[in-house]
Amino acid sequence: MKLENAFDQLRPDARVGIVGIPPLAVIGRLNAMGVRIHDLDEPQVNTDMEITAPFLPRVYCAILRTAVLNALHLELDMIFIDVGPGKCDCALHVSTVLRDMLPIPVIRTRNEDHAAYGHPLCETQMALLEKFKKITAGVQSAAPYGPEKFPPCQPTAGFWGVPPRDFSLLSLFPDTTHIYGWTRCMENKTPADMELEARFNAEVPTIFFAQSFCAKTALAKFLAAKHPRGLYLDVDVTCSSSTRAKIQAFLELSGVGHAAC
Amino acid sequence: MLLADFGTSYCKFLDLAQAAGQPYLVPTKDLPKDLRVDLATGHNGKRFSGRYVNELTALARGGEELIAAPDYVLLDCGSRDIKYVSYRHGKLADMGWNSECGASMGFTIELLEKYYNLDYNILAVPDRTFSITCGVLGMSHIFDAVTSGITEAEAVARFVKGIALNAYRFSGSPETLYLSGGLCDNPLFVGSLPCRVIPLGRYVLIKGLEKTAREHLSIAL
Repeated sequence: MKLENAFDQLRPDARVGIVGIPPLAVIGRLNAMGVRIHDLDEPQVNTDMEITAPFLPRVYCAILRTAVLNALHLELDMIFIDVGPGKCDCALHVSTVLRDMLPIPVIRTRNEDHAAYGHPLCETQMALLEKFKKITAGVQSAAPYGPEKFPPCQPTAGFWGVPPRDFSLLSLFPDTTHIYGWTRCMENKTPADMELEARFNAEVPTIFFAQSFCAKTALAKFLAAKHPRGLYLDVDVTCSSSTRAKIQAFLELSGVGHAAC
Repeated sequence: MLLADFGTSYCKFLDLAQAAGQPYLVPTKDLPKDLRVDLATGHNGKRFSGRYVNELTALARGGEELIAAPDYVLLDCGSRDIKYVSYRHGKLADMGWNSECGASMGFTIELLEKYYNLDYNILAVPDRTFSITCGVLGMSHIFDAVTSGITEAEAVARFVKGIALNAYRFSGSPETLYLSGGLCDNPLFVGSLPCRVIPLGRYVLIKGLEKTAREHLSIAL
């Protein structure tokens, strides 16, 4: 089904899943119709990830495995999955799997939006976990921001990367952590902006995070090596105790708070 | 003030209240259940103390106390995991903690010595090695080798060398490696590392706790 025909098939009470960040024009149409949007990249059902094993390899991006898990359990009417430069090849192949797996339309999009919305949340003082919740929730809306509500703060640490599958690791960072990488592109509503994605602040200790088995691990590792106080980190489904300790130790030994003692 | 590093197989203690007190070792299986210490590290540490320092932090601070060089890699090989810190120009540059692919390496080495009744002090470093990333998975190499006619001692030696090479690569393949943990006392393991090795012994994390107590808890030492 073509994108322009997809909206005709949706009722106002429809349940629509999104994977990645579909173009703002799509989100705007869905908002105008009043349909309920489910962000399939985030955990929505409390079910064993193993259920996705018949459809995807176990060694695969945990975000996309989560999207498939959600798609299996949520009774959706349609899915919009971004497969453009703002997402990844893995999503393109997952869209093929979803089309075969589900009886509903799975619409591929290519988000190449370049109108910058700004990224006030990335630079404001707020618990990092809350910032990520607000940024990821923002994907479902085309409404402009009120940047005056989120004034910038002086950063003491940096988090570069995508929103992790396991948000619990975000609680280890101070409220004055600035967000960089694809999450910043997400808030800016320009997910394919590679120049913005590659930016970091060399003045603050920064964790360069990527999901295990994601193509962005290469960029995360590359940038961590360029950063004078950068640490590369990849996590699969959940954050292990040793990974949590690694983050704590890195921040503490870099002079960011004294979390451990 | 009692400091302790609670490891999987052995726990290390230092009592700061005793003048010229020396650190000492207690097998983990012999620990009194009601034991409490003032400051702890190690994966069992939170069970025995209200004040806990994570192992990487303790290792790094121990290294800062014991190593004068500004650039170094310090690797700790424990019973169940391996971890390292790398310093450049006196500052933390990198770190890693592997409790999965590097799992149970020290534990398995000790187990094999007892099981096959070997002595690592007299085993020669072998020319060949097994490709090993995990102590548990690596065991099958030993059984296969013995089945093919290789002596048990040679098979275990290749296993130990494989573990040493894996740990060396994990720490970034440095020219000089500062080594922490019980494997410092294993000449086969130390001799299998393909670089200059400076063994620092079992008490590096305890030294890190001592630094924490002095600098962060304002304990006069």
